[in-house]
Formats: sequence, C-alpha cells, structure tokens
Amino acid sequence: MSELLAQLAVCIERGKVNKASPYPPDLRGQDGAEELTKQALDSGVAPSDILEQGLIIGMGTIGHKFSRNEVFVPDLLMAAKAMSSAMVQLKPFFESGQARHKGTIVIGTVKGDLHDIGKKLVAMVLEGGGWNVIDLNVDVAPEKFVETLKQHPGAALGMSALLTTTMVNMEETVKRVRQEAPSTKIIIGGAPVTDEFRAKIGADAYSPDPQGALDWLNAQVA
Amino acid sequence: MRKTMTSRERIGRILRRQPVDRIGVFEHFWGDTIKLWTDQGHIREGESLEDHFGFDFMMHWPFNMVAQLDFEPVVVEETEETVLTRDGNGALLRRHKLHDATPEHVDFLVKDRAGWEEHVKPFLAPDRRRIDFQGYRDRKRLAAENNRFFCWAGVNVFELMHPVCGHEYMLMGMAMDPDWVKDMVNTLCGLTLDLMDILFAEEGPPDGIWFYEDMGLKGRPFMSPAMYREIIQPAHARTVDYAHARGMPVVMHSCGYVAPLVPGMVEAGIDALQVIEVKAGMDLVQLFRDFGDRLSFIGGIDVRTLYSNDRAVIDAELEKKIPVVKGRYGYVLHSDHSIPDQVRYESYRYFVDRGIALGHYMGPND
Repeated sequence: MSELLAQLAVCIERGKVNKASPYPPDLRGQDGAEELTKQALDSGVAPSDILEQGLIIGMGTIGHKFSRNEVFVPDLLMAAKAMSSAMVQLKPFFESGQARHKGTIVIGTVKGDLHDIGKKLVAMVLEGGGWNVIDLNVDVAPEKFVETLKQHPGAALGMSALLTTTMVNMEETVKRVRQEAPSTKIIIGGAPVTDEFRAKIGADAYSPDPQGALDWLNAQVA
Repeated sequence: MRKTMTSRERIGRILRRQPVDRIGVFEHFWGDTIKLWTDQGHIREGESLEDHFGFDFMMHWPFNMVAQLDFEPVVVEETEETVLTRDGNGALLRRHKLHDATPEHVDFLVKDRAGWEEHVKPFLAPDRRRIDFQGYRDRKRLAAENNRFFCWAGVNVFELMHPVCGHEYMLMGMAMDPDWVKDMVNTLCGLTLDLMDILFAEEGPPDGIWFYEDMGLKGRPFMSPAMYREIIQPAHARTVDYAHARGMPVVMHSCGYVAPLVPGMVEAGIDALQVIEVKAGMDLVQLFRDFGDRLSFIGGIDVRTLYSNDRAVIDAELEKKIPVVKGRYGYVLHSDHSIPDQVRYESYRYFVDRGIALGHYMGPND
C-alpha cells in the first residue's frame, strides 16, 4: 500500500491529473492522481493516510522545489490541478469528519488591490499541505477579513498585496483583527512586503513564497 | 568636457553602449502620483512630464490588439469602486475605478486551443483600425521637435496572451499543450509585425522599440528558462530582428524577478533591459557585471528608497549603483517600477538631479 501512496505522491508532484491527461509526456497513458486515489479508497486506505502519506508529500515536494526555483509556475499549477482531482474524492470524508484539515486559514488580497495570481499560488500550496483555505479573493476590506475570522474561530489569516500603494492597507486590517479576533495568527506576503514591514505593522510572519507560508502554518499547529 | 548631447543622440548611443555626455533619465508614474503633484501645484494641468523633468524618451502606444474590434465592452457588474466588464477578447475583467491597477482576471472564454480557435484567432487580422496613426504622428513630431528619442511602445507576446486567456490557462497550456501556446505566440507576433509594417511605411519608423513584457513574480519568473527558450523566445527574436533590420534598438521591460531569463533575452537580441525590480529580487549591479558588455539597463533603483523621502537614503542608493553601472555608457536613470504617491515631489526632483549629477562623464576616457 505504501507503494500506491508513493505513486500518488509522484503524480501530485509531477502534475499527472488522470490517465487521459497528456501531461507530463513521460507519464502519458498511466494512471494519475484521480485513479490512484480511487484505488486507494477502494483498497480501504484511510482517507487521512491518503492525504498525509500521498497528497501532502507530493505537494510538499513540489512546493520546496518551487521555493528553490527548480520548478516554475506551470509545474505548480499542474500539481495543484492533480491535487484537486484527488481532493474531490476525499471531500465526503472531510465532511463526515473521517479526514481532518490541519487547520483553517482565511486569505485574500487587501483592499484596493486586484492582483490574484500570487495569492492563488499560496492558496494552492496551503490546500495541498492539508489546510482548509477560505479564499476571500481580491480587494478585501478589513471588515470582511474580521467578519470571516469571527465565523471561523481559531483560523489564521493570510494577506497579500502586490503594490506599494496597497500594502499599507494591511496595517489597518492587522489593527482591526488585533482588536476583534486577537488570538489570530497573521502571515503576510507580496512583492513589496518585507519582514521589516511585517514587524512595523505587527503581523506574526512574512513569507516570500508559498512553501514558506505552509511551513510557518504547520509550525503553529505542531 | 564632452559637449551636451540631445536626448535623441544620448539614448541612441546609450542603447548601443557608446560614449555619451551623461546617463539618460526617464520614469513611469502611477496616475495617482501625477494627480497629487498636480493638485499640489508642482505640475501644471496637462504639462508634459518629459519637459518638466527633462526626460530623454518619448513614446506612443499605437496598437489595439483586442480580438473583436467591433465588440462594445459589456458592463456585467459595477460597484462604487470596481467595474466588471466582458471585453472583445471574451475576457471578464474587474478594474478598480479609483486608482491605477492591473485588472483582476475573473474568467475567460479562451481556456484552451478550441476556445482560442473559436473566439480569438479568426479575428486577429491586420486591420487599419487597430492603429492610432494620428497619435503616433503627433508624438513622433513632438519628439523630433524636442530632439527626444521616440519609441513605439507596446506589448510583446507574453503580455498579449494573458489578456486573452489569463495567466493560469496560459501557463498550464505551456505545460499541457505547448503547441497551442506556440500558435498564439506565432499569430500575435505576426499581427504585431504586420501592423508595424503598415504604420512605419506610412508614418516613418520610430527611433526605437519598447516592449512591455511582464514575465516575473517576486523571486521567480513565471516560466522556466527552458520554457522561455522553447515557447516565447522565438517571438522575441523575430520582433527584435525586425527592429534591428530597420536600425531600431529594442528595450524590453519586465517587472518581477526575471534574472534566469536574461540570458535567453540576450540571445533574442534585446538591447536594453528595463525595469529591474529590486523588491522582486533583481540586482542591477550584478546584472551589469554579468551582461553589461551586451546589454544596457534602464531602472533598478529601489523605489522604496524614494518613498522614504529621506535624502540620505536616496543618496546611498544612487551612490551605490550609479558610479558602477554608468561604466559602459549603457545606463538610464529610472526607478525599479513606477513612482507611487508616497513619494514627495521634492524627493523625486532630488532623485533626478542627484542621479544626473552622479551620471555625468568627465571626458572621453573616464
């Protein structure tokens, strides 16, 4: 069985969605994440084992390679697509409580900023790392972040900004969250954001890449 | 002391790394910044920024590359701050109404080869209505009257594709169906060159070509160097060859971290790299050391030092970089992106004056 889960991890890492997918060319015609997840469930493997020993391992491998610039955005997108095809089949087990996320994180691009690709990449890696991601999308007002955090007690908060002109809006959100959901862990990122800026606005962490965000979140629940 | 050159002479030589009187100067600004500085009385309403700051370049963006020219954009949803429209590419984009920003990619009719062949490719013909002849003519004349270096400005294939299908479908397409993406590249490149043929035959060529091509994120390019070489570089080489055959040097702009792609862009023949975004990880001095014999540079001055509004911080940034990168005569002073409205007018003015002072050459052999 460990071989099946190892194969599944490879499919996630390589972005092999299903048997019909032509990508990657060297795995053409072979089972993908979709088929292998079904096979694992049919064989009685616990959904939590599929998640932890297959999917998370595969996404972790590609996430670290992405951090080291050994793979690039197309590779990460394909891995996320493969991950989604597996997660669809695990969804009922999450709903029934047979599988559990590591935690919940609310994420979004801050008010005034409509950029979404960087934030989406982070969301993909966090989901692939076993986190329940509530993506509020872009141009998210501080009150929307706060309202969502109140609906999900214990959730972490991730904020992104691409512009020097919009990253200042993170500060207002941090202030509001500290007042209304003070135990919330807050991580920020985006092109103009630095650890110095994080310290200035009072967020808990800054990550320059998706895997760094996942590693930090995992450390919070370890 | 070398005689003072006109902007046209200066930039023409800087892009070829030939001796000049001083480094060049140019800049991009967020619209909010110019509005603020105008409201504050620093700039007159409608005043030319080229005149005001003494910029060496003028440019004009004359092409409309939307697929369906006759399609009237449809407003799908509008709030006080944003408007969601379906455009002539079949793209659903949300734009901010109150300030400049890249639109949010909401949805696209083109998600794969079939969508491209149905909704966009058949409409990409070299129609004269795609060309702003009058605007190009006026800016070209104005540049000539003021001896400024005049550039045709527009986007190259990477930036032409994502308005059609978005970054996600384009980048997944590069992995799953590279022949589809190559077809988009080839078609859009061909259309650009056909339109250039028409425009330049009627109105005369510009002094240079300026391609905007955002290929990087923070810390990484969108694609691998291998993918760049296989899919994008052929169009870059084709458009650069076209320009060079007509005596026009080529500036390539890219935001984000694109250092791993620079060798491929040099192979494609570009003459200058702009904008060298420090906060994304780009290092102007290192690029100069690695490629300064083959490439000129425009930008690479950390805009965060400008919005510190602290002259000592601005001095330190300029003094660290300008004496080095002016070394081969191939440098134009410019921030590493655009000037945001946190930068005070006085700080920007100081940046330009101090940068130019550091960028003077004293004699033919210095």
